[in-house]
Amino acid sequence: MENATARLRVLALLVVLMFLALSTRLWFLQVLASQAFEGEARRNSIRYEYTDPVRGRILDANGKQLVINQPSRELQITPDQLGNKGDAVVLDVSKLTGVPVRTIVRELQNTRYVASQAIPVAEFVPEKARLFIAEHPQRFPGVQVVPTAVRSYPYSRMAAHLFGYVHLIDQEHLKQLQGEGYGPNDIVGFGGLEESYETYLHGKRGKQTLYVNSDGETIGKGVARPPTAGDDLRLTLNAHIQQVAERSLLEGMARARTYHDATGNYLRADAGAVVVLDAKTGGVVAMASEPGYNPEWYVKGFTPAQYNYLFKNSKVGASLNRAIQTDYTPGSTYKPITALAAVKEHIASLSGQYPCVGQYKHPNDTSGAVFNNWTDVNLGYMSIATALEKSCDTVFDAFGSDFYFKYANNPLGEDVLQRDLRQWGFEQSTGIDLPGETPGLVPDPAWASTRPDIFENGAWIPGGDILTMIGSGYVQVTPLQLARAYAAIANGGHLCQPHLVDQIVGADGSVVKKVTGHCDQMIPYTPLELDYIRRALQTVVTGGTAQCAFQGFPLSRIAVAGKTGTAERETGKQDTSWFASMVGPDPANPQYVIVTMVEQGGFGGQTAAPITRQIIDGIYPNIGDASHPSCTTPDR
Amino acid sequence: MDLVAGRTFAQERRPVRHVDWFLIVLACALSAVGLLLLYSATSQTLRQDGLDPFTRVNKQAFTIGLGIVVVIVMMSFDYRFLKIYSGFIYLGSILALVLVRIPGLGATDSTGTAQRWFEIAGFQITPSEFTKLALIVMLGAVLAGIRTSEPTLADVGKVLLISMVPLALVFLQPDIGTSISIVAIVVGMLIVAGTRLRHLLVLTVVGVVAITLVFQSGAIEDFQRERLKVFLDPSSVSADVRYNLDQSLIAVGSGGLLGKGYLQGSQTNLDYVPEQHTDFIFTVAGEEFGFVGAMALLVLFALLLWRAIRIAWLAKDPFGTYVAAGIASMFAIQMFVNIGMVIGIMPITGIPLPFLSYGGTSILVSFAAIGLLENIHMRRFT
Repeated sequence: MENATARLRVLALLVVLMFLALSTRLWFLQVLASQAFEGEARRNSIRYEYTDPVRGRILDANGKQLVINQPSRELQITPDQLGNKGDAVVLDVSKLTGVPVRTIVRELQNTRYVASQAIPVAEFVPEKARLFIAEHPQRFPGVQVVPTAVRSYPYSRMAAHLFGYVHLIDQEHLKQLQGEGYGPNDIVGFGGLEESYETYLHGKRGKQTLYVNSDGETIGKGVARPPTAGDDLRLTLNAHIQQVAERSLLEGMARARTYHDATGNYLRADAGAVVVLDAKTGGVVAMASEPGYNPEWYVKGFTPAQYNYLFKNSKVGASLNRAIQTDYTPGSTYKPITALAAVKEHIASLSGQYPCVGQYKHPNDTSGAVFNNWTDVNLGYMSIATALEKSCDTVFDAFGSDFYFKYANNPLGEDVLQRDLRQWGFEQSTGIDLPGETPGLVPDPAWASTRPDIFENGAWIPGGDILTMIGSGYVQVTPLQLARAYAAIANGGHLCQPHLVDQIVGADGSVVKKVTGHCDQMIPYTPLELDYIRRALQTVVTGGTAQCAFQGFPLSRIAVAGKTGTAERETGKQDTSWFASMVGPDPANPQYVIVTMVEQGGFGGQTAAPITRQIIDGIYPNIGDASHPSCTTPDR
Repeated sequence: MDLVAGRTFAQERRPVRHVDWFLIVLACALSAVGLLLLYSATSQTLRQDGLDPFTRVNKQAFTIGLGIVVVIVMMSFDYRFLKIYSGFIYLGSILALVLVRIPGLGATDSTGTAQRWFEIAGFQITPSEFTKLALIVMLGAVLAGIRTSEPTLADVGKVLLISMVPLALVFLQPDIGTSISIVAIVVGMLIVAGTRLRHLLVLTVVGVVAITLVFQSGAIEDFQRERLKVFLDPSSVSADVRYNLDQSLIAVGSGGLLGKGYLQGSQTNLDYVPEQHTDFIFTVAGEEFGFVGAMALLVLFALLLWRAIRIAWLAKDPFGTYVAAGIASMFAIQMFVNIGMVIGIMPITGIPLPFLSYGGTSILVSFAAIGLLENIHMRRFT
């Protein structure tokens, strides 16, 4: 059997090789690559069930509810599960819910969503419709009616631009927010405060761990985490003043439409904005933008007319918040700021006297450019205060020439005028807690070099500085930027970061976060200089361009200082009407800054100033006489 | 040699004194581990269906008890009788393989693709399992009859001819797993019989050509082709087939070094691995007892194979050596192909793990093989 022994050894060797192969592979699987497999095993067997959190409310400064939640039955359609019945299902759903077929199709085809997502197409579905759908699952594949909470707006259309809306999360947001516990069926805020404070408002969804077998059946449950309600936002906004501002703006616009422009056409006055700031903190007390819309449209689904009005008709632009998302030529409301720049750069002094001629020409200019004052009468020499009161352009034109000479003689090629203006926060976002702010424009030599279409060879010209001095030409500001600058004049030089939210309050009433005023930034002017400007602007109301609007107003009890603006626009558009003001019982210490702007509203003293007067009457109800003088005089 | 000493010697020669208890213990230990793993693999699903979680464990335990009886029966007669009756045994197994193909006699599985067992009193009897043992006995007898120092080409041809009949029948059932076992048994026994390397190489070439031809001819079922493809080229096959292997790898891999603990494996408990109580029973060990547990199980098998090869070496006659070597080859290939497929180094062929996989015939044949080994071991002096 000697041979057999050797042959059995061969057999044994083969067996040993088998064991070696198995052990090596097991070592790789279970020791080296084990971690990856552990993860896969976990993903395999564990599913999570989520409960939506209650979204935080939005309250005004006095605790009045502006945005709340309301229970609803929501109809959702999952496009993936429609099969070949898509058309029939959409038709049936439309009949049941009254939502137009177009609207449903538009939502379903919205590329922002994944086809496996349950897309909400109708709210407040009647119980009868819910039952019908539940009883005919064959007829409604991929359709479900679920109880949800939707946004509700007790003040209806008020402040719609500030809130934004909530909707099913889209792919882009899901990618960003997945790490923070968001899932594909989460509701998130779009636009306005809903977007800015999404992380606070949203809350945390509840989570229940389920152990699932390979058939998807639940075998057991883990520890449940209940949902955490979102935090409430307590705003600086005052619902009463907001209502007053919106109503005054609408009425003022309607009034303006009865006036004629210089060519005899009615003013269009089809859009406008009002900003009311707390002068000391930068808190937004009211922010109105017209035309507006009702945020409930987002909840209930748009009618085709509503949809076109909001999104298709770019002329209306109702979804724009004109206080921050559109920039405008400021006109003469810019003059207090440019005047201070002239003083700072020793071009002018507060004690100086300057000629207010009918027409101004830049010295040694050969181009023939002429800058007209609003009157061709020579008003003689006047102080800066009087120049503001009368809104004399030519005084400022001359300052502009001097700024240009400074620029021309500056070896660094810098124009100090624009530097000084930017110190007021122009051409920058104010940092308000709302998305989509536009920065505006302070035209300067560098900008000119990028616009050879406007400036010959891209070269800066005297007219650039001259027009900027009177807030004309290419200067662009938002009403909020202007309000912020006026607040700095009012509060002694603090350039505040405007904000809508005062504090964030947890569901249990505790303060999660307090948004204190960020007013550390200072403008480089002495209190004396700012005081001079404020006093000068008081004369605008008593005897200047806004005199008519404030006829009969008890200025001794509520001091008003302001500046009108009438900004020319491109051919075919009527002037933008402005009034920027500081208001309060203490003339040296204004409480509010109010900026009113009406697109194609004509003269500042004609449209914007009376609207502001009406707002002030509403803010101090027992003081005003509530008269609304008609000011058709061409006060600039 | 005085009388007393002779008597002692005679007593020593009594077969019952030479039982390899270690082998018995190993077989029982493997079966016990099998019951443990079976409970983990099946209790959760059974409980969910409102059934007694021990249903399958009880049935398997009963089969194991029956297996012990089979061991005793297989030990009770001299294995050399088998040599005499090997021809009848062989023909009997062929007959069973033919009968199971006759509609009405053999039962088909739920998908209707394979027909390979008899349904008798609630038990499935799979004749192909017995075929392996019958062939071992038959080949043992043929090889033991060779008078030359090594098998001639004619002898090899004879062996092949004898093997081809059951192999073809099993292959047509179709049962690739058992076919592989049969091939391994034949090769193992030919090696031990001293077949020249040259002949074995020729045999290998012939085998490869034959397998290729069979695949080309379309004689095998689609699902088998798929299963082989998942092994050769994992990206080319359907998700269903891929799933089986993936879940198996996840189960074993996620066990890590020490495992998740008994009854704690999520893959096992939640029924993620298909066929977990039968062909994929090893995943339970891999997931719940980790690398250490899996290696311990391999050690048990290694000891079992050591005992089997040792018995082949100790056997009194060539017939015993060949039969023991055939049984060792059978256990070795089944263990290797089964565990290999579970951990992704062998194709998925549907081959049970001896003593552990749920299934009556497999258990009974494994115990019968143990009985035969004991028989050879016991009678090595007589």
